[in-house]
Amino acid sequence: MLVILCIKFEKTMNTKQTIAVIGATGNMGSGISKSLSKGNYRLLLFANQLSKLQTLEAEILEINPSADIEITACPTESSWEADIIILAVPYAVQQQIAQKIKEVANQKIVISIANPLNETYDGLVTAPNTSAAEELEKLLPNSKVIKAFNTVFAPDFTQPIIAGSQADAFIAGDDQDALQTVNELVITAGFNPIIAGGLHVSRTLENMSLLLIQLNMKNNYNWLAGWKILHQ
Amino acid sequence: MYDVFFQKFNQKIPLTEEEENFVKNYLSPKKLRKRQYLLQEGDVCKSIAFVEKGSMRSYLVDPDGQEHITAFALEGWTIGDLSSFHSEQPTTQSIDALEDCELVLISKSAHDELLRTMPKYETYIRLLITDAYVALQKRTLNMISMSLDDRYKAFIDIYPSITQRVPQHMIASYMGLSPETLSRIRNRINTSK
Repeated sequence: MLVILCIKFEKTMNTKQTIAVIGATGNMGSGISKSLSKGNYRLLLFANQLSKLQTLEAEILEINPSADIEITACPTESSWEADIIILAVPYAVQQQIAQKIKEVANQKIVISIANPLNETYDGLVTAPNTSAAEELEKLLPNSKVIKAFNTVFAPDFTQPIIAGSQADAFIAGDDQDALQTVNELVITAGFNPIIAGGLHVSRTLENMSLLLIQLNMKNNYNWLAGWKILHQ
Repeated sequence: MYDVFFQKFNQKIPLTEEEENFVKNYLSPKKLRKRQYLLQEGDVCKSIAFVEKGSMRSYLVDPDGQEHITAFALEGWTIGDLSSFHSEQPTTQSIDALEDCELVLISKSAHDELLRTMPKYETYIRLLITDAYVALQKRTLNMISMSLDDRYKAFIDIYPSITQRVPQHMIASYMGLSPETLSRIRNRINTSK
């Protein structure tokens, strides 16, 4: 089946968007928060431990003193304020948080970064006909769920150019405007954005990540690795 | 989150609980802090905002850098750039929060889908826009035909709580007056009471 995806590209928005980063102090959450703090975004950072949030806040302000960031005590409150919600948490936590924020995430962009790996890292816990992103969409049917940042590792955020090439970062989703918005986020984070297709393509993206994680462990990439599409 | 929204909706056209739940699928609840922008000049107005709590203003900046307030929105009112929303072209206005707000946003795609699938929503929008048009007509007529004092009195009659919520210089801007002129008008009205 051939699917033609047409994206209408608009210029970057003037209006500062508010992004809630849930799980901000995790490896991925920190990488995402630090890189997005350089963009025209207001970040609301949530994690379970206040002391870690305070450390993260200080680190971000050191890199970027004019960053518009705030640490928050509640994922629901921060999601209520947010225009975009990034669930920078593992798959199981992603599903738990989704139940909590469902009402305030209505009609908003919610980004799934989770790779639903099993405990032995040799497979995914999701069935082949679904993905972490699609399972999130089942819980948040009125949100614009987008898959992003799952094919890059946390250290890549500090060094998105690996072995002389800028890592690609794949995005999948069904809402065209949301894809465009997340495209901008990926650019701000320093990666080359590739819109891979509809949300169902998350199945491929999550499997790609499984492969990269296995190769990383086998070949000692030290988590500094990524995907790059070669083309004419 | 949607109490005032549905109260106002039901005043225009009553909804069953099932119909309210259907509409809720398309609503986006958004908290905005004082002085935060909902929309900045140059962007497309992608959502209409209903004010559940708080107060908002829309304004444009003229070539001399002077701000001109074009509208206020208190609880129960709606705000947005209808022209930009409808045409999907960049707005010349900016919209920001005068106080911490709770808003209910309806995006263009949600709005179009509701218009397509729910006749009562179309009625609600028709009545909302009719009321807004009549208010705009009154405002234009008042600006042309009334004395400054009478214009101010008419404004306060319709929106009695506004002077407690909105700074005087902003009311002056909305009326197209300098703050000093508005101050003189208010003194005249108060001394004649």
